[in-house]
Amino acid sequence: METRLLILNSDPVFEDRALAMFDAMRKVETRIVRTLSEAVYILMRENFDLFVVEGEPAVAIGQATNTRQHFPSLEVMCLTRGISDPKLQEEATQQNIELVATDCSDFKLRSRLRRIVSAFERQSGTPAEGIDPCHSLVGNLNQFSAAEILQMSCMSQRSGRFTFKSSRGNSEIYLHHGMVRHAVYSSLEGEGAVAEIFRWRQGRFYFEEGIISQVQTVNRPWTHLLIDNLQKLDETIQMTSVQGKR
Amino acid sequence: MRDSTLETQIRLLTLQVESWKKLHDFITYALDKSKPIVSADQERQFTEIRGLLLQESEHVFTQVNLVAELSGKAMNVLQRSTSIRGVRDLSAEETRRLEADWNAVFTKIGVVQGQLKARRRELLGRNIITFSLARLFGRKAA
Repeated sequence: METRLLILNSDPVFEDRALAMFDAMRKVETRIVRTLSEAVYILMRENFDLFVVEGEPAVAIGQATNTRQHFPSLEVMCLTRGISDPKLQEEATQQNIELVATDCSDFKLRSRLRRIVSAFERQSGTPAEGIDPCHSLVGNLNQFSAAEILQMSCMSQRSGRFTFKSSRGNSEIYLHHGMVRHAVYSSLEGEGAVAEIFRWRQGRFYFEEGIISQVQTVNRPWTHLLIDNLQKLDETIQMTSVQGKR
Repeated sequence: MRDSTLETQIRLLTLQVESWKKLHDFITYALDKSKPIVSADQERQFTEIRGLLLQESEHVFTQVNLVAELSGKAMNVLQRSTSIRGVRDLSAEETRRLEADWNAVFTKIGVVQGQLKARRRELLGRNIITFSLARLFGRKAA
């Protein structure tokens, strides 16, 4: 299984030092884009293990932060020249963006990049379906979006656990009397995990009645979550509108 | 085994193919008279693509030894297509020439890209020692 990288670099022909290093790595597939709107367009349709933003510190961190807002579970890395501004560093830390300084020797940069990329090698494969006939609701996200099925379950005051399985991994949403009580996806919990699941357009889901979470990570009513997430999704789609016009 | 020069050539050609495709999308749009009026934003995007191609084509063609064959044709396309509106106003003969030159560039870089990918696939099945030995003995025999 190859590690997939999406690389945002506005000048990939002439500023290709890091690109050449990624090319030399085994089991790494790279896709290069020049603009953020292109990157968002692709991220909405395909899965990548890591999103790499290369460029001037302020621009690159700005673009990475912007992407983070729309794809909360995505691993993001910024490749920039030395960052002297502590504000930018703080912003990157807050947004969980890995900063890699490129003003070092080729050897040092190559080993750093290799270390980062190799961390993704172990994660692979599509999770097993694990769907049981006793699950009260089973379906495909191609036909019903997460928003639709959650809306239906919340309206009918259900309590139980939704499990979503896709190539991105597994996630769970716990309902309690028609309210979202807890959501978890990878290291994300709460509203961040709900936002992530909203974007999924492929995969399977099933519902198990009566499984209640002891943990509560979501405190807002379902309708607020729905409106916020649909609005966010609209904003993400808007970012790609430049692509759509072509 | 991975050859860094080959990887760079494939990467550069992939980027070129993408840019030429985008340029073609705009040219097609311009030539379709039923399409609505051209917006300033579309013109800006067109100029951006054109700017990238003007900057990069020569360099990329040099890297893959195609500069003699393609440079002239690429320049013809880029010089004739000054803007979307400009392409829309071209005569039938000029349009035909523009499309023929675009096609020549696109076909050639597509073919070379395929050859390089085939070479990469071939190299992936070899290891560095057998490859170096084969090259060494190959040269001696010649």
